[in-house]
Amino acid sequence: MWPFSGEGPALWLALYLLTFALHAVFVSYVLAGTAYAFVQSLRRADDAIAERVRDRLPFMLGCGITAGVAPLLFLQLLYQKRFYTANLLMGPRWGAVVPALIIGFYALYLAKAKVSLRVRRLALATGTLCFLFVAWSWTEIDQLMQADAVWRDMYAAGKRIYGASAIYPRLLLWLGAMLSLFAIVASWWASGPERRKLAVLGLIGRAVSVGAALLLVAAGGATDGNAHGWLYLLVAALAVEAAGWVWMIRAPDGPGLTLVTGAGAAALVCATVVREAPRLALIEPARPEALEAAGFPVFAATFVLGVAVIAWIWRAISDAKT
Amino acid sequence: MDPSPIPYYPVNEFGPLMKGLVIGGVGILHVFLAQFAIGGGMLLYYFERLAQAGVPDTRKFVDGYFKVLVLVSFVVGALTGVAMWFTTIQVGARTIGIMLDEFHWLWATEWVWFAIEIVAGYAFYRFGPQLDDKTRRRLLLIYAGASWMSLFWINGILAWQLTPGGWLDGGGMWAGFFNPSFWPSLLFRTAVAATLGALVACVVINTMDLERAAKAALIRRASRFAAPMALMPVFAAWFMAVIPADSRQWLMGGSMPMTMFVGVAAAASTLIGGYVVVGLIVKKLYINGATATMLLALAFGATAAGEFVREGARKPYTVRGVLYSTSMTPDEVTQLRKDGAVTKDPYPLRDEARYPTAQLRHGAKVHRALCDACHTVHGANALVELTRTWTDDQMRLNVSKLQRTKGFMPPFAGNAADVEALVQFLRWETAGAPASWPISDTPETLAQIATWLDEVGTAPMGDAR
Repeated sequence: MWPFSGEGPALWLALYLLTFALHAVFVSYVLAGTAYAFVQSLRRADDAIAERVRDRLPFMLGCGITAGVAPLLFLQLLYQKRFYTANLLMGPRWGAVVPALIIGFYALYLAKAKVSLRVRRLALATGTLCFLFVAWSWTEIDQLMQADAVWRDMYAAGKRIYGASAIYPRLLLWLGAMLSLFAIVASWWASGPERRKLAVLGLIGRAVSVGAALLLVAAGGATDGNAHGWLYLLVAALAVEAAGWVWMIRAPDGPGLTLVTGAGAAALVCATVVREAPRLALIEPARPEALEAAGFPVFAATFVLGVAVIAWIWRAISDAKT
Repeated sequence: MDPSPIPYYPVNEFGPLMKGLVIGGVGILHVFLAQFAIGGGMLLYYFERLAQAGVPDTRKFVDGYFKVLVLVSFVVGALTGVAMWFTTIQVGARTIGIMLDEFHWLWATEWVWFAIEIVAGYAFYRFGPQLDDKTRRRLLLIYAGASWMSLFWINGILAWQLTPGGWLDGGGMWAGFFNPSFWPSLLFRTAVAATLGALVACVVINTMDLERAAKAALIRRASRFAAPMALMPVFAAWFMAVIPADSRQWLMGGSMPMTMFVGVAAAASTLIGGYVVVGLIVKKLYINGATATMLLALAFGATAAGEFVREGARKPYTVRGVLYSTSMTPDEVTQLRKDGAVTKDPYPLRDEARYPTAQLRHGAKVHRALCDACHTVHGANALVELTRTWTDDQMRLNVSKLQRTKGFMPPFAGNAADVEALVQFLRWETAGAPASWPISDTPETLAQIATWLDEVGTAPMGDAR
């Protein structure tokens, strides 16, 4: 099945896209959740969702960073020269994502602690800004990787910011998607009235994404036809998800959340393929050493073991909570 | 894209800092925190068992210590790991690329263990007090085991850089992974991890609201955990025995900075070991927070020196026998001797207007391609200072026969015109970058350099193994 066919890099590509989707779930919760908690702190609202979000944010960021290592690994197999070149061109401005994440991480712990409202606001604002910076940086490097025509001049000029016209619509598209993904995850821990509120946020997020996608297309942004039908699947999944949100608003304790989750997961997987489609042609010819590298059975066995262990941990703490 | 088979990357300079200092700074912090996380995990499992056996105050210690572990290691420790990746790309993109190509499935395996470590750690941090004894014990065992497994996998990849062993003879990835320095490195790092776990425990215990006698009892138990330190000289000697002969010579007196770092690491470790083994374990002395912190700082110094030694011992390679510190393979050096070092480099200089002649621009590009990985022009390990007293001909000879000038330098990867351009560039910089500078390209000079290049050849001084 396109694009997971052919020899060599197909497995890396599949693992890259799947782990990227997993990473996206966690970081969406972190960025949108931090922003949500910040807005609620400004409103001085006694908001149970925000309280719950603040409690979970450090854990979710830990998961997001951990889950982010895997796509970073496979990305370097697929687009090694492009990724390294973009990394070097952006230089210290790219490296700044690490201190930004460290500051954001501690800000989340501070926001979770028993502190004054003023300190909490400051911590959440800091976290939001740090995570926005990281999201912007990733959007930039993703685009710069593909823009070999500008590499030489960008290096000569000593520029650290790429700033192509597609960057901000793409970032906006992602921010909208993040809000929807946050709403889906947060809804699982929410009560009925809270779910209504989250459903509205989920719909707003999708509207922002669709608007940004239209902007991107109007600006001649990257699309690769219908990506062999994945775009149609994406549109269908989004339509089902939207119907699920509406159902959830009308009957918050009904099956709407399950529908939204299923459709949202499908939309995320389809979106990662559609996002990747324009640069699939840029995948570098697999280096023989990488193709011949041993160790896959060890990884596969460890992966199965890891899933089993994490499932056991999940069950153990669920038992403890009950 | 560049059609050349040699992948050229844009080069960043870090002002007066040489690149080794940048990656060293990030790497040392990461290694220190990662080893603390491993030792801390093992120590916590031991203390949890004590707590469940009814030893007083140990449960309180476990919960307090775990908070430190999460707040320090899970945040800065994990993120400096990501920083290591990015910094390595900045310093030697080809090196990390080769490592990844060869070991990506093992790296992915390491990632699974890391994910288990993080999930188990957060689960214990968040729900520990609500869990029954058996689950607490199991969770800590998973955490400690997963963090050590993470070390197991990454250690093989890092050790391969210095001692690829049977991999160089076509033995395949596993021969490279279980290379000659795999076991001594793993055991040494495990002993270091246990020691760091114990030293942090001594600091944490001093912050607890307990009577001195209760603290002393906890400290005695924690300090036992550092006992494997006594075996570190054995592991270090084993490591020294299996590394390449030329690397061993640099460490044992051939290079004074390297030898001094070996001395610093050994002396700091001896001091810590002496205090812990004799003072805390044998004499059962008390250690206060200030002293424990000092010992921890000393351990940081030992880690820093040890990592410097490990990195330095690889010279002139970043992957022994495969890739030089200039990011060139031995075959590419031969090719560049014919083609020229920068003929196919697509990236211009960022400060072209600064140079009064084309030869100086050429020299600046040669410096960027071949010297910049380990030297600066005027800052740390500055070429201007290293060559200031040399005559022109001495510099031409020394650069041409680089691997003979210093055995830990790679062969010069360029032709006679490259050597002369580099010599003129360094002379111009030494003279304070004047507005005009004569061209130096007489046939006699270039012929003499070509003769020297031919005489020395392209083979490195040390054997690849």
